[in-house]
Amino acid sequence: MNDTRRFGRPECDEVLNQLEEMNVAIATVDETFSALTAETRRHAKSCSVCQAAIMDFAETREGLATMKQGMPEAGPWFAARVMMAVKAAEREIEERKEGVWVSVRRLAPRLAAFAALLLVLGGTWAMELRRRDVAGQTELRQAEGLFESGQSAPLNDDIVASAAEGTRP
Amino acid sequence: MPEPATVGNAETGDVRQEADRELVRRAQQGDKEAFEVLVRKHHGRVFAVAGGILHTREDVEDIAQQVFLKAYFSIKRFDQRAAFSTWLYKITVNECWDLLRKRKVRPLLYEADLSEEQTHTYQSREERGEYGVDVSSRLEAREQVEQWLECLDEKDRTMLVLKEVEGFTVEEIAEIMGLNGNTVKVRLFRARQRVAERIRRKKRAAGV
Repeated sequence: MNDTRRFGRPECDEVLNQLEEMNVAIATVDETFSALTAETRRHAKSCSVCQAAIMDFAETREGLATMKQGMPEAGPWFAARVMMAVKAAEREIEERKEGVWVSVRRLAPRLAAFAALLLVLGGTWAMELRRRDVAGQTELRQAEGLFESGQSAPLNDDIVASAAEGTRP
Repeated sequence: MPEPATVGNAETGDVRQEADRELVRRAQQGDKEAFEVLVRKHHGRVFAVAGGILHTREDVEDIAQQVFLKAYFSIKRFDQRAAFSTWLYKITVNECWDLLRKRKVRPLLYEADLSEEQTHTYQSREERGEYGVDVSSRLEAREQVEQWLECLDEKDRTMLVLKEVEGFTVEEIAEIMGLNGNTVKVRLFRARQRVAERIRRKKRAAGV
């Protein structure tokens, strides 16, 4: 797409370059031919590819000419309307900025109360957790004491001895 | 409607651009009056660009206002490497495409689509003889052009309208659309071929 040589012939490319630079007022085929430089015109008259390009060019311009008539134009009030919209947008931004601080200030007592409530709940939960932990540890210690006070486990030597007796014929 | 860009108008263009640069500098420092002058200078072409892509007057007005609002709030970030007008038309084209993408369809403008107020405005202007031809034939002509352009995608259509209706140069179009100048030339050439073929076919069908 970046190739400057569209037809491969420099004369044809020159015709296209001149077409692109033509003033919008030039629209018909005759006007287009006359607007070309003498050398380019000579080539265009003998080249079918360039003639087709000129026809397309003129046909498109002629076709799109009606488009300009229907184009909407800005009214004399437009600049004032833009400036009013700018002011309104600036005011909105300011209000939004201020709005954040106003809401923070307005919500401050509620936020403090909520934080205090969270603190109380969190503290109670932590204390309860610790109490349960202590109670659990006490129970475990008591259970261990029960085993320690009963029959002692057999020594390794006794086990080996009884096993040896069992295997003897 | 402001005059289209033409070859040989470079000096005037430079003076105009320098004036714009100064206005932009002032607007960047918060001068609202400078921005209003920029709006007055450029709204004509912003309307024209949007009018070539969109189809109803209401959409064009809304988009034009949106474009200038966007420009106002981002003008501080505009580094003036490109011309202000190019930057503005780039915003316009993008806003129009966004709107079309949101809608996914291109509604054609029919007389029935006009609001009561618009119809009244058109009629009174017509009665005063401000239009050369009557409104319905103008709308019909526009509808026909829309049918010819239907064979093009959004980008090709925008390029062709900017070039052939609004008189933008290939370089301006390339900058607005972020494309290489040669790519624009090639796409314009192909778009013209397709549109011209469609026009011829319609004319043949109509027996012209």
